[in-house]
Amino acid sequence: MSNAMKILVVDDFSTMRRIVKGLLNELGYTDITEADDGNTALPLLKGGAFEFLITDWNMPGMPGLDLLKAVRGDAKLAKLPVLMLTAEAKREQIIEAAQAGVSGYVIKPFTAQTLKEKIDKILASKAAA
Amino acid sequence: MSQDDTLQGRYRSAVDELAGALNSNDEAAFRGAFDRLRAQLNIDLNPELRRITADAQSALRRFREEARLEVLADQEVPDARRRLAHVVKLTEEAAHRTLDLVEQSTPLVDRMSVEAAQLLEEFGLHGSRQLAVSTMWPERATESLERAVRDTEHLRRYLSQMLLAQGYQDLSGQIISSVIKLVIELERVLGELVSLAHGEDTRRMPALKLEQTQPQPDLNGTGPIVPGVSRGQHLDSQDDIDALLASVAGGK
Repeated sequence: MSNAMKILVVDDFSTMRRIVKGLLNELGYTDITEADDGNTALPLLKGGAFEFLITDWNMPGMPGLDLLKAVRGDAKLAKLPVLMLTAEAKREQIIEAAQAGVSGYVIKPFTAQTLKEKIDKILASKAAA
Repeated sequence: MSQDDTLQGRYRSAVDELAGALNSNDEAAFRGAFDRLRAQLNIDLNPELRRITADAQSALRRFREEARLEVLADQEVPDARRRLAHVVKLTEEAAHRTLDLVEQSTPLVDRMSVEAAQLLEEFGLHGSRQLAVSTMWPERATESLERAVRDTEHLRRYLSQMLLAQGYQDLSGQIISSVIKLVIELERVLGELVSLAHGEDTRRMPALKLEQTQPQPDLNGTGPIVPGVSRGQHLDSQDDIDALLASVAGGK
């Protein structure tokens, strides 16, 4: 696990971006960039060497599921770990996200421990692959 | 024989005449029979059309006279939308203020924790009452430093939980935003109804027409679960979600 890992946090609510950033700081991750929807996130992802993406689902402009599909459809970004951090809890939505290739799915409201566990699990899977 | 008032009775002669003209291949007679049948149909339908028209006019007149609807359309519903947007803004500001304070408090707690631990370390006081006595270091000061180390650890956890608790603003904001979308739609429909009742072109309210919304597919998300409102099958816990994700991944 590298605490220097470059992370992009995407959420339309500035408070949630700040909360996630604060929790990531507590976990030792300090290289964090923010975006407020998929449309602003995608150019950042294409232009920067991000190693991890944390995204909300329900956002105006490009929602998180579209962003996930765009990431998986881009040869350079396809293997990027994507953690969906969202209030969307419908069974069919979670299945849709899984089929689109989400690496992890955390439901809001969440705990710091859950966030840590999911990030650690995703990174461990990536390292083992 | 009394007059036959049934539908069959009233139209029998006209239909017989039409059928006769058809059978005899008499175009002129057929056209005449057809015109008479059509005229009779108009006579029968007109009272019903007049009644429907009168009802519609009466409804429009009542609608025009009902000033409350106009006030709702022009003032109260738009005000409701602005109030809801203001609630989102206020809660966002409050959440940011709390986050400011958490972020300002965290380094203070960290410093207290580090300094207390350093003092204990420097004087070799951790768990060494004898040394404390020999150096004339008050035992109460040692206990205080040890307590400071423990308490600052608790404080750090509480600050972390306060940080997470501000997530309510995101969840409540998403719910209120979905209500605002509905109010915008209501505002548009009411505006068009009022314009219609006044016989005006709905272009009177171009902004409302621009804000016309379409039903949102799930692709855009539906927001947090609201008890008694959210439909469909939802998963309640992170464990359920993890299990579902594992089953989908396993089935690939």
